[in-house]
Amino acid sequence: MAAPKIRSELRFILNGQDVSLRDVAPDHTLLDWLRLSKLLKGTKEGCAEGDCGACTVLVGRLTPSGGLVYEGVNACIRFMGSLDGCHVVTVEHVAARDGKLHPVQQAMVDYHGSQCGFCTPGFVMSLYALWMQTPNPTDQQIETALQGNLCRCTGYEPILRAARAISSYGGTEKDPLLVERDAMIARLKALKDGARVEIGEGKSRFVVPASLDDFAAVLEASTTATVVAGSTDVGLWVTKHMRDISPVVFIAGLDELKSISVAGDTVTIGAGVTYTEALKTLANHVPALGPLIERIGGQQVRNMGTIGGNIANGSPIGDTPPALIALDATLTLRKGSERRTIRLEDYFIAYGKQDRQPGEFVEAVHVPAPAAGEKFAVYKVTKRRDEDITASLGAFRLSLSADGTVTGITIAYGGMAATPKRAFAVEKALLGQKWTEATVEVAMEKYAEDYTPLTDMRATAEYRALVAKNLLLRFYTETTSGAATAQVSRYEAA
Amino acid sequence: MLDRSKIVGSPVSRIDGPLKVTGAAKYAAEHFEPGMLFGHVALATIAAGRILAIDTRAAERLQGVVKIYTHENRPKAAYRDSKWKDAVALPGHPFRPLENDRVLFDGQPVAFVVAETPEAARDAAGLIHVHYAAETPNTHIVAEQHNSYEPPVARMKQFLPPPPRGDAEAAFAAAPHKVSADYVLPGEHHNPMELFAATVRFEDEGRLTIQDKTQGSQNSRDYVCGVFGLDPDKVIVKNDFVGGAFGQALRPKHHLFLAVMASLDLSRSMKVEMTRREMFYLSWRPSCVQTVSLAADDEGYLQAVLHHAVHTTSRHEDYQENVANWSGLAYKCDNVKISYELVKLDLATPGDMRAPGAASGVAALETAMDELACEVGIDPLELRVRNFVHRDQNQDKAITSKALHACYREGAERFGWVARSPTPRSMRDGNDLVGWGMAGGIWEAMMSKGEAKVRLSADGHVTVSAAASDIGTGTYTILGQLAAEVFDCPIDAVTVDIGRSNLPKTGVEGGSWTAATTGSAVQAAAKAVVKTLLGHAQSMENSPLAEASEEQVEISEGRLVLEANHQVGTAIADIMAAAGLDAVEEQAKVGPDILSMRRYAAYSHSAVFVEVKIDEELGVVRVTRVVSAVAAGRILNAKTARSQILGGVVMGIGMALHEEGLIDHRTGRIMNHNLAEYHVPAHADIHDIDVIFVEEQDQRASPIGVKGLGEIGIVGVAAAVSNAIFHATGKRIRNLPITIDKILESEAVQ
Repeated sequence: MAAPKIRSELRFILNGQDVSLRDVAPDHTLLDWLRLSKLLKGTKEGCAEGDCGACTVLVGRLTPSGGLVYEGVNACIRFMGSLDGCHVVTVEHVAARDGKLHPVQQAMVDYHGSQCGFCTPGFVMSLYALWMQTPNPTDQQIETALQGNLCRCTGYEPILRAARAISSYGGTEKDPLLVERDAMIARLKALKDGARVEIGEGKSRFVVPASLDDFAAVLEASTTATVVAGSTDVGLWVTKHMRDISPVVFIAGLDELKSISVAGDTVTIGAGVTYTEALKTLANHVPALGPLIERIGGQQVRNMGTIGGNIANGSPIGDTPPALIALDATLTLRKGSERRTIRLEDYFIAYGKQDRQPGEFVEAVHVPAPAAGEKFAVYKVTKRRDEDITASLGAFRLSLSADGTVTGITIAYGGMAATPKRAFAVEKALLGQKWTEATVEVAMEKYAEDYTPLTDMRATAEYRALVAKNLLLRFYTETTSGAATAQVSRYEAA
Repeated sequence: MLDRSKIVGSPVSRIDGPLKVTGAAKYAAEHFEPGMLFGHVALATIAAGRILAIDTRAAERLQGVVKIYTHENRPKAAYRDSKWKDAVALPGHPFRPLENDRVLFDGQPVAFVVAETPEAARDAAGLIHVHYAAETPNTHIVAEQHNSYEPPVARMKQFLPPPPRGDAEAAFAAAPHKVSADYVLPGEHHNPMELFAATVRFEDEGRLTIQDKTQGSQNSRDYVCGVFGLDPDKVIVKNDFVGGAFGQALRPKHHLFLAVMASLDLSRSMKVEMTRREMFYLSWRPSCVQTVSLAADDEGYLQAVLHHAVHTTSRHEDYQENVANWSGLAYKCDNVKISYELVKLDLATPGDMRAPGAASGVAALETAMDELACEVGIDPLELRVRNFVHRDQNQDKAITSKALHACYREGAERFGWVARSPTPRSMRDGNDLVGWGMAGGIWEAMMSKGEAKVRLSADGHVTVSAAASDIGTGTYTILGQLAAEVFDCPIDAVTVDIGRSNLPKTGVEGGSWTAATTGSAVQAAAKAVVKTLLGHAQSMENSPLAEASEEQVEISEGRLVLEANHQVGTAIADIMAAAGLDAVEEQAKVGPDILSMRRYAAYSHSAVFVEVKIDEELGVVRVTRVVSAVAAGRILNAKTARSQILGGVVMGIGMALHEEGLIDHRTGRIMNHNLAEYHVPAHADIHDIDVIFVEEQDQRASPIGVKGLGEIGIVGVAAAVSNAIFHATGKRIRNLPITIDKILESEAVQ
């Protein structure tokens, strides 16, 4: 492979203006840059960890197919290095140049969606992103779009009413970002020079690889580098733990890691695919995964975070690994030009320890659909309905013979051990038995052999032990009630 | 002409809305000064003990660091406690940042870095190493409640328990129906969305202009002047926009002290912005343990009320709030005993948080009332109706107004309460248990002293000014409305100038008294302007208003006219021209009516109805419906008013289900000091909330008939949720918040 051209300049567009920067630290966040360097203070800091959404801005980027998509992201945990070739839109760019409020803004004023006003720019940007794609959203779409925005004053309902009314203030056809879309695509394409971006020296350096092969080469040559895809986890290492993450390799812009392909019953997802991008295909393929993904973080986190990153970091409370383990997913790991494929389950060795060699990275995850007749469900239980870290998450895949004997059962949990973990003793108690309540009740007693959960801020050990059993009982009830597998992970309004 | 009733009382959109939706509204951290320095605080990592040594060498070597302050080199500040006491200070010793080697609570500032960039300040703070002699902290209120004491100095007279009346113990013993239980509430943290910050502009001749996140610019000014011995005429504090506060920004915080200290020491402009974590070590709603005992006869008439409340305070101050006294006045009862004590723990001083005292005390009382209703066997709403009282028995005073029956009636009707099945666990929706619960709410309708200035220009433009704050409540808007009402002008013709310490004097924005106080002052000043105009008009030759008194005139369409006949009058522009003026300006001062206060007590009231749906196998609760019916006097603005109640209800849902400062009692340290683990309600937790304002006329509570709305929305909500959970599950959970594990692990009563 010929070495790519190297550029020591980060290039993107802020609102209407071309930006090129040569002096950017690997851990410089977009929020700090906006507020401190550009004095654009409409974008707020409320938590610096992607929880409150006050810092929401839109990031527009070219899709592999040549389109342009704008998504709300948390500027507080978004690193500058990941913005090469993007269009950043802040709240200052939303109203018309003559000061006329945008429909989103006028609706927020008229419906009293703003009180103290501090969360307001973030809500405006989240609603703007929603309205661009879905001008007349359902309440459920609104709630999903606003999962990642906290407000402490309004009680939310005025914001919901504002969201419903936006389109009555004007159509998307006049929206500046949509009107200027083709011109912006041309501007962003002009920024794509196929170069590798390298900024900084030695340890305090970051790289935006030019291609997937380039990434493999960069990582092999710099094995201690932190690989950052969505930065929804790594962002907090910086803002909360004050960790030095450099050198850094930013891979969010690599189109080759963004591929989603379906072959037979298996979906292959590139490691750079975000939750938002994966949602439709995965939900088509395995319907139970749709509602699960919609309860991971808020929309901003899902627009940035990747399934590859969720796996690679090996958190015991990552939400996708238990579900994917229950589906018997596999991983392709790559080092240089060498690839190997392992079962996802085998990737997690111990707390903080994964089967990944220096210089190696997760390239793709392969998710088989449940076979015909197999039943699959995943339940996420949290203290707060949305935007909460899992207390316990159980995933179940079951096959039954014609006479109701369990011929296959895979059960995996998150939040119950130091890694996402199978419930082998429970599975053993079920396998070969008739799928009856009596069998399930016997199996429920086996959880104590599989897990010794902890008490922490999210739930007590006793709760976790009990709810783990109850989730199996729920799976049993739902698989035998004749109804299609219901999703506790989605609540419909009364 | 404009219909006046369409200005005040109508749903006028907030006038600061456009600035907020465009990001143009600037908050305390968003003001930049040339050459300014940035500060960052290093926080204690023990809860009790002493600092043995602070190693700042690595931090000092960092490029851009200007100076590091610790207790060893802090510039001098006032010696006497009295100089450190702000307008809402407490009995005890106010906290003095970097005063000495004592560590009184986890997260106490122990060092302060000043640097050329915020990044350098933050990085350097992380490089400071503190060596401590740690002591064993006591942070557990339940474990320490045997050390409780009556506060030796009362913060306010009305926080003291009323004298006992009747013989509560004997009546309790003799009554046929009784309940008695302990209720435990955790500490809560306000978590306004904006982070605390101060920007200090250092000017010539020692002048300072300070942008502070505060609920009272004059309180911040007086505090820094007292502490640093500054001339109040040379210090201006501004708080044009405040990103929420809920009581946390009533008292000056360490960021203000440190920013001013460094600015004076280095003769440079300064900015200090806190982190979200740092905000968990400021004032907070104290953890609280209460015992409530109620007794009733067979018809449910209360025979005895006993309420004992103990809450946390710090080692150095006696924070106090009115927790238990509500139990002596909410319902009719002649045998009442109330007691109130504090426990000192190794935690930061608690502070007022939305409906301080009432949110906690009424939560216990109204849960106990629900338990009593079950015990007597009558409907919980009926129990309250039967015990209605139109008198404050604690103070033996009449009540200015109490449209609580209307709250009960209209709330119950809107909610559909009549369809409630009385037996717990008897209502279901599919797999979910359904519960309906209710509770009452009460809050004092207060008015304090306040001033305002109103200026009417010849061109009809109006300027209202007062040092009041708008912490998201809508102060800008309602003050504009009140002036527009008097001058019969559109609200666009009014400029509202607030949020600055060198404007007419007002108290801190808190306790729901701003609308009543500053609103009344604005109306009084506007009326004074009209009176002055009348005087000028009567000086004109052949004035048609020559014989009119001030009561007989009003302003209509730019003219001063007879109220009875708008044809008779003179244009404002003509009056001013004749008097050689381009504007008329008057200032007015208002205060509570002392005579009336001797005879009357004023309260706002509410009835809250809640529906929950519960997935019992997982312990997951949803609050699917809330109806809050409120009696709070005159409603100035239907939009801002409704939103105040909605916000209060949602914070009450948080109190019931989510909010809890979690402390590791082995170390005395707060564990969940972030928004990921300290849960406030998120969008999906909130479903249908209906707000009803019942009709209530009350000219005694305040001259403009307003009682205030900032607090009443939260009061009673936690109890209503808890009562609904009991109704759904048969499980009475008396320690908040009611989390998934408590529901799953509790036993249903039979």
